[in-house]
Amino acid sequence: MSEVEAESPFDGEKAPASPRADLVTAAVLLAFGLGIVAHSFQMPRFVEQSGTGLTAPGIVPGFHGTMIALLAILLGLRAARRGGWAARGPVAQGSGDGRRLALATGLGVLYAGVIVGRVPFWLASALFVFAFTAAFEWDQGPERRIRRLAEAALIGLGTGIAVMLVFEDLFLLRLP
Amino acid sequence: MLAGGFGHVLGGGAVWHALWATLIGIIIGALPGLTATMGVALLTTLTFGMGADKAMLVLVCVYVGAIYGGSRSAILLNIPGTPASAASTLDGYPLARQGLAGRAMGISTSGSWLGTLFGTAMLALFAPSFGEFALQFGSYEMFWVAMFGIVIAGSLSGGDALKGYIAGFIGLFVATVGQETNHAYARFAFGNADLAGGLGLLPVLVGVFGVAEVLSSMRGPAVKAVSSKIDSVIPRIRDVTQYWKTILRSGALGTFIGAMPGLGEDIAAWTSYAAAKRASAEREKFGKGSIEGLMAAETGESACVPGAIIPVLTLAVPGSAPAAVLMAAMMIHGLNPGPMLAISAPEFIYQIVAMLVIADMVKMFYGLVLVRPLLWILLIPRERLMPVVFVLCTVGAFAITSRLFDIWVMLGAGLVGFILRELRFPMAPLILGIVLGELLDKNLLRGLVLSGGDVTPFFTRPISMGLCALTLAAALWSVPGVSGLFRRRRADA
Repeated sequence: MSEVEAESPFDGEKAPASPRADLVTAAVLLAFGLGIVAHSFQMPRFVEQSGTGLTAPGIVPGFHGTMIALLAILLGLRAARRGGWAARGPVAQGSGDGRRLALATGLGVLYAGVIVGRVPFWLASALFVFAFTAAFEWDQGPERRIRRLAEAALIGLGTGIAVMLVFEDLFLLRLP
Repeated sequence: MLAGGFGHVLGGGAVWHALWATLIGIIIGALPGLTATMGVALLTTLTFGMGADKAMLVLVCVYVGAIYGGSRSAILLNIPGTPASAASTLDGYPLARQGLAGRAMGISTSGSWLGTLFGTAMLALFAPSFGEFALQFGSYEMFWVAMFGIVIAGSLSGGDALKGYIAGFIGLFVATVGQETNHAYARFAFGNADLAGGLGLLPVLVGVFGVAEVLSSMRGPAVKAVSSKIDSVIPRIRDVTQYWKTILRSGALGTFIGAMPGLGEDIAAWTSYAAAKRASAEREKFGKGSIEGLMAAETGESACVPGAIIPVLTLAVPGSAPAAVLMAAMMIHGLNPGPMLAISAPEFIYQIVAMLVIADMVKMFYGLVLVRPLLWILLIPRERLMPVVFVLCTVGAFAITSRLFDIWVMLGAGLVGFILRELRFPMAPLILGIVLGELLDKNLLRGLVLSGGDVTPFFTRPISMGLCALTLAAALWSVPGVSGLFRRRRADA
């Protein structure tokens, strides 16, 4: 597999996470795994119903939690051996623009988590598509901005109406 | 039975459904940021109102079309439309830069067409007999099948086996949320009625593959679209006859890798490409516009599609991420993939064969006629495409049970999926874990109850023992010291 991976044009994108990031991840996963195990222990065992307790609801998630915790320890040890304690610098890495990510996440959460269900779906979708397109195209400069905004509004309206027609009227699905 | 399968599938507007679904699949596959898994998940929503056979035809066509469509952008833009077509950029784009974009697309079309046909023939040949063999599998064996799926997907799907295993167990944990089957006890619900109902498979899949893709795509630097001069796209017979050995090898490799739980089309393409390079007489051309290299990658990834459906039909274990969604869609439509299919609906295997052949033919048709319109679609800026995709994700998450809670699940899964990707956790084991969670849960407990708490049947029954050995071998192979030891010995020999 190593030869295959070495030929990938995405080596840059697939650069491994930094040891420091792995160390922090391992700590979070260890807490997560132990949390699952602790919660699984607190579940009822239903010994009277099953006679053996072998159908206790906590057995399987407890097993998964244990495995996550053990593998997290291995990840942490590996990260520490690779210099995770000594390394300085950001925990998060990867190419890209954090501002763009925050904007996309914010708009997505606002749309799906707040607006949808409170206003008609076609309108919510039209507003979202317009806002998303307009916000991300704003940086392209003032030249032809009015035209781009008008196009964004048209795309938004078109999406809202098309989704309603296709899903609700053609495929008879309920929309939020 | 095969003729019966075609007869059954071809009735009632099947050609029309195949035409539009394959077209949507090709467009989804061609657009960078939209994957085959996302396409099958989103289209599952549209098929709720359809009969099971029409729904499966639509989803199979989307799957086949999307895997093929990825090569369009790989050749024309040097950007793989789906992860599966990453290997096609290596020789596809250099060919396009030499003014041979049309020829490259012709090679891609013929390789992909032959690959799917080869894989489908393997499915028709082996799935029925393997299905009958799988009838011998009891709870103990099915537990190991699920474990093997997680381990093999974790070991091979993302490069970092440790992270692959963690992703797999996170997926298995997600599957335990909600009421369990023995006592109807709501696990990890914390008194919340929605959580007690469990985390829906489709909202989680749409989140991990849809929302996370949108975020990844919007975060990255802007992609500059470049158009290319297109020459004739008609596949040349000589390209096929000259590389028939490569086509057969890649078809066999692609189908085999497809049949391995959770590996998928990208690994099939890379492995086929590497094998072709090793065996080639013109090795120096690879990476500079090799027809053989492009043919190998395309044949391998497309043969993987029917290969990935083989374990779905026979074991209820998906061979790839899109196949996992296809399996979920089968369950939603009341079809029960797995060992019992050989008894309850043996004809269904041949219907799937017919669907794959129809999808393959339609794909070939579009490969010849749909070049320029696709080029225009490829030039749509992501700032205008991604919000529309996000809207479709929201509809897809909501439509199955009409709960707003599922939209929150989609958002949560999308954010967690995005973070895990950024931390270089592979997604295939996560999805496999979610899909196989119930299988593992039920069979582990059922096995323990049947044996009165004795764990030895898990290790001593013949098939169980073999599956356990395979699982342990796959896990050990991912330990760097062990695989290194084997490589050194082989080198010494």
